[in-house]
Amino acid sequence: MSHHYIQFSDVHYRYPGGVEALGGVTFRVTHGEKVALLGQNGAGKSTLLLHTDGLLLPTSGEVNVGDVPVRKSTLKLIRQTVGLVFQNPDDQLFMPTVADDVAFGPLNMGLPPGEVRRRVETSLAAVGASELADRPSFQLSGGQKRAVAIATVIAMEPDILVMDEPSANLDTGARRRLLDILHGFSHTMLVATHDLDLALELCPRAIVLDRGRVVADGSTAALLANRQLMQSTGMDIPASLLAYLRSLAPCIEG
Amino acid sequence: MSIQRALITLNSLENGTRGLAVDSRFQLTVTMLYLVAVLSVPLADPGMLVWMFVYPIVMAEASGTGYGRVLLRSLWVLPLAAVIGIFNPILDNSPAWHIGSVTVSAGWVTFISICLRGLLAVQAVLVLIYSTGFYALCTALQRMGLPAVLTTQLLMVYRYISVLLQESLSMSRARAARGFGRKNYPLQLWGVMVGQLLLRSVERARRVHNAMLARGFSGVLPAADPRPIRATDLLYLAGWTAVFALLRFVDISEILGNLINPVS
Amino acid sequence: MHMADALVSPPVAAVAGVAAASLLVIATRKVARSRRSDIIPMMGVMGAFVFAAQMINFSIPGTGSSGHIIGGVLLAAFLGPWAAYLTLCSVLIVQCLVFADGGLMALGCNMINMAAMSTLVGYPLIYRPLIKYPSSTGRIMCASVLACVLSLEAGALLVSAETVASGITALPLGKFLMFMLPIHLAIGICEGVATGLVVAFVQRYNAPLLTDSAGTTAAGTSAGRRRVLWGFGIAALVLAVAFTWIASANPDGLEWSIEKVAGVAELAPASVPATAFMPDYESHFAGIVGGVLVMITLWAVTMLMFRHRRQTVSRRIK
Repeated sequence: MSHHYIQFSDVHYRYPGGVEALGGVTFRVTHGEKVALLGQNGAGKSTLLLHTDGLLLPTSGEVNVGDVPVRKSTLKLIRQTVGLVFQNPDDQLFMPTVADDVAFGPLNMGLPPGEVRRRVETSLAAVGASELADRPSFQLSGGQKRAVAIATVIAMEPDILVMDEPSANLDTGARRRLLDILHGFSHTMLVATHDLDLALELCPRAIVLDRGRVVADGSTAALLANRQLMQSTGMDIPASLLAYLRSLAPCIEG
Repeated sequence: MSIQRALITLNSLENGTRGLAVDSRFQLTVTMLYLVAVLSVPLADPGMLVWMFVYPIVMAEASGTGYGRVLLRSLWVLPLAAVIGIFNPILDNSPAWHIGSVTVSAGWVTFISICLRGLLAVQAVLVLIYSTGFYALCTALQRMGLPAVLTTQLLMVYRYISVLLQESLSMSRARAARGFGRKNYPLQLWGVMVGQLLLRSVERARRVHNAMLARGFSGVLPAADPRPIRATDLLYLAGWTAVFALLRFVDISEILGNLINPVS
Repeated sequence: MHMADALVSPPVAAVAGVAAASLLVIATRKVARSRRSDIIPMMGVMGAFVFAAQMINFSIPGTGSSGHIIGGVLLAAFLGPWAAYLTLCSVLIVQCLVFADGGLMALGCNMINMAAMSTLVGYPLIYRPLIKYPSSTGRIMCASVLACVLSLEAGALLVSAETVASGITALPLGKFLMFMLPIHLAIGICEGVATGLVVAFVQRYNAPLLTDSAGTTAAGTSAGRRRVLWGFGIAALVLAVAFTWIASANPDGLEWSIEKVAGVAELAPASVPATAFMPDYESHFAGIVGGVLVMITLWAVTMLMFRHRRQTVSRRIK
């Protein structure tokens, strides 16, 4: 396996309406790393994620995946390397049944039928949804939809997994199962989330985005415990972390 | 039909009954043949139509759907058929049947025919969809040579109907909570609400498009895998074709009537 | 406006079916060659949107009743005529198969009457040439009312013609039209106002959506003017044909029904042939009663025969 990293170099993006969504973003996610992308609504997280898969191309600056720059001509390769899981599984599951949906990517890659079937089976098994294969997607529960949405992406066997709000709208049980699934993956991961507990548990490193710029990049626990940073970017220190910090140093004030 | 009922119908359908091991292509063909047989019966001949009930009854029970359910759901067509058919008894009162001392006009005979045609045709479609399911039908259509653009379109419409109905249902609930019991929308408000629904739909289409692109969609849709035709399928087709031909060309009501009440 | 199978004969269904299918073939080709890469998800979601919009009723001003749109002109304003035709046809197919709304045999008729008349006649001939965005709400309103009225009147004319050609109703075409056209004039105005409202709303908040795939706007150019002329020409033709029928059928129809009454009056005293046939009809009726009984027995027998299957199926549903 070659080295799979994502490199953003001074990426700017301006929407056609004139709003600047990204104002010079630079960072690098190296092979095997799991990174959380944090920030308020409108900070530019989703726009940034769309750049990893070439769904948006930078107005200026460059995105590299591995040694391949993200351009119109390289999209096919990029989209096989980077698997993007969208926020709303209803947008991602557009085919009739779960199995059809998981097969959509592999079929587009032009794989032979036997290989497609194998990938459908293994990726559904990987998210614990094998028994859902023949169900129509609109009848699944929120947690099941999320699991299947992840399966549709890993069926393409990407090296890098990019997820937008994977735990949105999930109940506690479904969220736990999702975390267990994600813990099992060895992919390089970039996860945009508001769920700071998830970030803390899953990703050792975090990048904080504010108004289209990277304002902090470092160890997740350290960033989340930084009161000043949290306040200035409109986030709250997760209660679990706060309790842990208090148990370490009872003298720290609230 | 209310939005809620439509959602329930959608939900019940794909869990449905798959009692039959016949390829959907053949079920669709047989349904079409049946409709041709039923609709070509002359209106003056409701006796022939009565025997046509053989198909929906047998198929509804054999597929495990239950004919009662099919019959109930087909009844709504009666008022629709009646609206058009009611002119016949009014305009055409030439005598057609004398039963004892009662004379039935040709207009009433054709009226009964129209109602029976309505019931039979709707029941045939219901039996088809209950015993196959919409997804299976779409694959059947694609295997029968329909372009992928059209079958994918059908699948996507079907997929997103429930999503958009949910969305409009929550919008109407939000209005109902502040609407003081008014059920329909004044036009102005309707325009705003449907306009919003449209903008949301367009946004959704964009996100779906992104999700498709992210998984390598290039504008060309993958084709359905071919499926061999089996002997049971052919037998099914041949059997029903024979039955329909018999029912259509032999007036069993008349034969039976002559047996009961032979002409001297 | 959905026609049920009960109202069409196989020949009429076949003719309409072939016409609708040919248009569909053209539409699929046009869509496959479309420059818009998002046209497939767009058509899919917009189809579902029209389906949902048809289920939201508005109250018709001045009356207690409510109505809903068909949505052809509306779809065409966003997708262009051919993609809109394809989309509306797919909605009709789903309605027919899933909700048993409109018959399977009558599908071709419904596609022509509703989808083709609005997306391929009303929209390109009236709406498209009259509108160049941005337009004032009044202009949008006028164009969409005109386009919708033309589409619905043309559709109503076809529904009547198809029903009469199928030999279903004893009503002559002229009388049928007298009953159908005024109703659909009212429905057309409502649909037009509703369509105009939605288009005006979208123009206010997301105007770029309103350029259909045809791209170039024809309003104001000589080609555009020619198109409007075509549109009004067709509208005039529809009206002329309808009125000729109404006019010619009126005295005819009256005469015809008098003749019927007179014919019956004549027939009644000279009842010799009628009595001769009487036992025959009576036995026929007995045969029908026998048929109904056989069907009920058949239901009971099949129900017992396939009892197991039904139980396994209902268990699976649970």
